[in-house]
Amino acid sequence: MDVLHNLAFGFGVALTWQNLMYCAIGCTVGTLVGLLPGLGPLATISILLPLTYSIPTSGALIMLAGIYYGAQYGDSVSAITMKIPHASSIVACIDGYQMTLKGQTGLALFTAGVSSFIGGTVAIVVLSFFAPKLGEVAFLFGPADYCALMLVGFVCVSFVTTGSLLNGMAMCLIGVLLGQVGTDVNSGQQRFTFDMPFLIEGVGLISIALGCFGIAEITKNLDNKDERTPFNGKINLIPTWAEFKRIIPSALRGSVIGSFLGILPGGGPVIAQFAAYAVDKKVSKYKHEIGSGAIEGVAGQAAADEAAARTSFIPLMSIGIPENAVMALMMAAFIIKGIQPGPNMIAGHPDLFWGLVASMWVGNCFLIVLNVPLVRYWLSVFKIPYAVLFPSILFFCCIGTFSVNSNLDDIFITAVFGFVGYAFLRLDLDPAPLMLGFILGPMFEENFRRALLLSRGGFGVFFTRPISGVLLGLIGLFVAWQLVSFVRQARSANTDRGIADITPVPLEG
Amino acid sequence: MALSLAFGLGALRYEIGHFEHAGPGLFPLIVSCILLLIGVAAVVRSRFVERVPMDFKAKNIAIILASLCGFAFISEHLNMIAGIVFMVFCASFAGTSKYSVTRNFKIAAGLIAVALAFQKLLGFNLPLY
Repeated sequence: MDVLHNLAFGFGVALTWQNLMYCAIGCTVGTLVGLLPGLGPLATISILLPLTYSIPTSGALIMLAGIYYGAQYGDSVSAITMKIPHASSIVACIDGYQMTLKGQTGLALFTAGVSSFIGGTVAIVVLSFFAPKLGEVAFLFGPADYCALMLVGFVCVSFVTTGSLLNGMAMCLIGVLLGQVGTDVNSGQQRFTFDMPFLIEGVGLISIALGCFGIAEITKNLDNKDERTPFNGKINLIPTWAEFKRIIPSALRGSVIGSFLGILPGGGPVIAQFAAYAVDKKVSKYKHEIGSGAIEGVAGQAAADEAAARTSFIPLMSIGIPENAVMALMMAAFIIKGIQPGPNMIAGHPDLFWGLVASMWVGNCFLIVLNVPLVRYWLSVFKIPYAVLFPSILFFCCIGTFSVNSNLDDIFITAVFGFVGYAFLRLDLDPAPLMLGFILGPMFEENFRRALLLSRGGFGVFFTRPISGVLLGLIGLFVAWQLVSFVRQARSANTDRGIADITPVPLEG
Repeated sequence: MALSLAFGLGALRYEIGHFEHAGPGLFPLIVSCILLLIGVAAVVRSRFVERVPMDFKAKNIAIILASLCGFAFISEHLNMIAGIVFMVFCASFAGTSKYSVTRNFKIAAGLIAVALAFQKLLGFNLPLY
């Protein structure tokens, strides 16, 4: 019953007035950015990261976490009412929007809210039992194993976010190389600085994040030029008992799937949603209705979404390796606050870990209030024209960049990365793996060098250690599978040239 | 999904691939080599995959970047309030709806108020005036 004791302790931390306030701010901001197009959790967290310098550690982390999972809630609202998916709620567009067309908007929103709540709760239980256990396992990891694990992360994230291993890995490695800029920790030598003083400290994380996600996204939205029509329909939120009963099993299934997929490297809300939706389509009692606006089609994916968003904290907090780009930013937040996430964190900063876990549940309660009874008011956010919105976002990007070092030169670097990010966007390359590579790069190098030092320069250590051997084997298998499927596709494309329909490597994870 | 992997990108990767510098460069060298390999693979693949024209609209990104750089420049030499006003007015050219001076003034005023709040309440070191 250690866990219960610890959780009680965590609630003690989370329920102080100050932390409650930060949690509420995080959830509100999260919902807001989830609703607004063009500002995903990644951009928001990077904008707000500098603002948290003056906030106490636990409050800052609670707030940033709140933004992340809050955005998952808000996301589904815009997907259901207007069929606008942002970062993650692609699946909610299918059945959720169908339900809106049928005039069941209120029911869909209620379902999404309640299922997210269930998903979040299950995930928190998983988190509080599993993270400490995994932390103990992490002590068995040597430098070589860490390297292998990070490689697995790179491969998974690359594949999942871009759908193409090559593009994703290239982005990852560019990120790793960008992380090399600056002073080498081991020898003190400057690398890739071109003798420019502002590069000695390395390229700023915030500059890259805001450039690639903030500015590039704004420009993309400006290019798109589609006017949004705000939702004006009626919303009847209260479901009947029969409808309510249909939510529960599907939401529970979704929570379990989401919790599991959230832990895996490269996992996270997006895959979890697809998986939950697919499972519901197979096993649900009402599977024939899914796709044409069924409760199950909304409930399962919403729960999985929320569950995965929370369990993705597990690898970060227990092993110290973030598994997707948002978590990489969270890790940066931890490090800025002087805390190294990893196996020692739970023991070393129990107030932080358990406080964060407990705050997630508190946040859950905030969110269900914000998103179910108050959802009407949120929908009026859509009435703000983008012409007002984007200069403000730009302004926050500037202030965010500036306040890191109180240095105006950083804004120029952000501008450069804005351009780079835009070019990537137009090339259909996702900058998320770049971010992960950038943050993990220095850590990767550190462990890589240490492993080589321990083995006196032999690469054998990566294959003889059981953990890293298995992980590298998995990567090898995966790459081989990709190659084979590519060759096969190229062949079949050659045979039937008539049909100019070439789908690159399958996306489903 | 459209794969706009044309040859330009491959060339870009080559450049980064050979980006080797003296010093404790073992790790960057290895990473660059892998990147080079991937670049080559991408070029090879691009022969098999259909080419997709890239839609690159230079106007909006140029305006946004100009307003960012202008903001930094003006803030450095004059002060940040002027920078904010410039940024709002410049960035609005990229907007879709009609250009409206009054609306820009309102936005700029709102943002200056936010900046003042940051400075006074959160203790940010902003060179506002």
